[in-house]
Amino acid sequence: MTSYLDCNATTPIRPEVLDGMLPWLREGYGNPSSVYALGQRARAAVERAREQVAAVLSAADASEILFTSCGTESDALAVAGAAWQAHDESKGRRRKIVTSAIEHEAVLAQAGQLRRRGFEVLEGGCGLDGVVGVAEFASLIDGETAVVSVMHSNNETGVLQPVAEIASAARAAGALIHTDAVQSLGKIRVDAKSLGADLIAVSGHKVNAPKGVGALWVRRGVRLAPLIAGRQEKNRRGGTENVASIVGFGIACELAGRELASASAHALALRRRIEAGVLLVSGARLNGHAERRLPNTSHFSFEGLDGHHLVVALDLEGICVSSGPACTSGASAASHVLTAMGVPPALAAGSLRVSVGWGSTDADVDRLLAAIPKAVEKLRAAAIAA
Amino acid sequence: MKRRVLVAMSGGVDSSLAAALVAERGDEAVGVTMKLLSRGETGFGCCGSPADVDDAKRVCERLGIAHYVSDMADIFASKVIRPYLDAYLGGTTPNPCVECNRSLKFGHLLALAEAWGCAAVATGHYARVVNGRLLKALDLAKDQSYFLYSLNARALCRAEFPVGGLSKEEVRAKARALGLKTADKTESMETCFVPGRDVRGFIAQSAGADAPGLASGPIRDREGRELGRHTGLASYTVGQRSGLGLHGPEPRFVVRLDPAENAVIVGGADEVWSRGLVAGTLTWAGGAPCGPLRAEVRIRHRHAPSPASIEPLPDKTVKVVFDAPQRAPAPGQAAVFYSGDEVLGGGTILRGEDA
Repeated sequence: MTSYLDCNATTPIRPEVLDGMLPWLREGYGNPSSVYALGQRARAAVERAREQVAAVLSAADASEILFTSCGTESDALAVAGAAWQAHDESKGRRRKIVTSAIEHEAVLAQAGQLRRRGFEVLEGGCGLDGVVGVAEFASLIDGETAVVSVMHSNNETGVLQPVAEIASAARAAGALIHTDAVQSLGKIRVDAKSLGADLIAVSGHKVNAPKGVGALWVRRGVRLAPLIAGRQEKNRRGGTENVASIVGFGIACELAGRELASASAHALALRRRIEAGVLLVSGARLNGHAERRLPNTSHFSFEGLDGHHLVVALDLEGICVSSGPACTSGASAASHVLTAMGVPPALAAGSLRVSVGWGSTDADVDRLLAAIPKAVEKLRAAAIAA
Repeated sequence: MKRRVLVAMSGGVDSSLAAALVAERGDEAVGVTMKLLSRGETGFGCCGSPADVDDAKRVCERLGIAHYVSDMADIFASKVIRPYLDAYLGGTTPNPCVECNRSLKFGHLLALAEAWGCAAVATGHYARVVNGRLLKALDLAKDQSYFLYSLNARALCRAEFPVGGLSKEEVRAKARALGLKTADKTESMETCFVPGRDVRGFIAQSAGADAPGLASGPIRDREGRELGRHTGLASYTVGQRSGLGLHGPEPRFVVRLDPAENAVIVGGADEVWSRGLVAGTLTWAGGAPCGPLRAEVRIRHRHAPSPASIEPLPDKTVKVVFDAPQRAPAPGQAAVFYSGDEVLGGGTILRGEDA
């Protein structure tokens, strides 16, 4: 019996989602671009999903949704696509990318690629509370900025970022503004209309849809240089549509939109219990802003132990949590997010992220709260013994 | 009663089969690969290099057991690499495997294992533990008990060597039969953190090209006559013949390294034999002896243990006197005391003694 409390890494597929997908893995195998009815039905399914994703993001029109293979691809297309488009349209004048030091690897790695191809990449920092500084961003953005990318909420700490304020600064300078909302979708409201962004990246497997599907909301009129050339997705992203997963993503978005209030209240109630319990452990602290956070995410540091070893100890008890983002597990390098926040390396090394979601229960929390104090005590003793 | 056993997995065939044997007998095996070098230094096939981690992971998947990576680069640097460098810079010949077994596998990892609720730590070493006593492997040609003398009584209570009763051929055959991808993997014989056995290169990279052990100096005979120049003490070990660049009528051997004078002292073939030695930093499996004892003493890996009298000295060292002189006990290497198959204890050779 597993207690899964790592919903920021991925989420279980909901049965409604799987049920909705199965016909498209069986008899509905048509290519959405085909002329005959089998293809037309697949096309209709994809377009229905597009509407569902558009609705959860309050997009003005379903045509603003572009399907991709994952959140990372959505981020890459947004950052690189916008950067090259703005660069070319401005005849090379717009040659800067402004982003934050706490972005997901998807954005930072893409920005790194663009740096090697001549773009200047500027990174805004954040405070100890994990919130990026609006004033600093405003000072980094100018007439040479091609694209600004700042995440909607941080995947490690769950801290919400002032995207709307930064978007104003970007718009004033004529730069495009992208936000990685992969962790926010389904947890808090992501509103394309009021956010003021031009691009929003989301991912299926963080909202109880399968892995292998993501989406990018592209404000109508915004043009992107494609990463994968091809006719699909209105020439913006080539490749035959992943019909079943797109359908699943659509259903998951509809559920997420409909259940946002209850899901968020459920998560918050569990999170409060988790934090109250864990912070009783001596030498434990909560990282990031106390209030301005996703309702489902808690990020702790424990003095005197390696967070990775705590994750192993909890796994051996049947509890899934993480010490850093799933992508970098295994190496005990301090997280770039905690480093940017100014968390001392010794504390950053003893990190634990707990993220609840659909399917998380009070029993899971009971189990976690029973296991953590013992595991922490034993690991500290081991660190001293060695 | 099912026990949880941590298996230290390097990604080689021996530890792969150790994990398989623990799982096969019905215990809960938990595979752990220690990451011993920080990113950037890996990639030359050492313990915890990405390819070895992958091999260990594939084996655990095949066995259906959990596998984790534990980053121990910092502690490996301070407990193994640093003393290794210090030894070479101080004119002795280090034995890093002894320190790794003491401080990493049966130090830090054992402590972690206890925190993780594991009853034992198993490794792929060729040795045996019976009732808390450390014994040579059944396959004497593969015996690694020499590198394990540094395990204290507490560690020996928790240590398991599942392949210690098998020959290498049996290990490979069984690994093949189980479909483990490491079954025919080549064995690494070099110091795991020194790429290509290039000790000088490693010292230069870690301690600087001007490190004392790399500085040229005189080669002298016992009477102090300079016979040539050496390329740095780190390139020499007591008993060594090659690499001296001497062209005299008789072969010359390294008799002693003199770090104070940065000199290599050489002598004839008969001068590298010692009647005895003094060893310190002792470990006794069953507690320190209260008086002199008889044992067979091994002074390097693959050396045939030789009968000797061991006399504990007041300064926590021992004086070992061999029944018959032994060739070239090298300061820094281990002297391990056996009674038949059993390891009684051992220590680090401080100096050889003529009488």
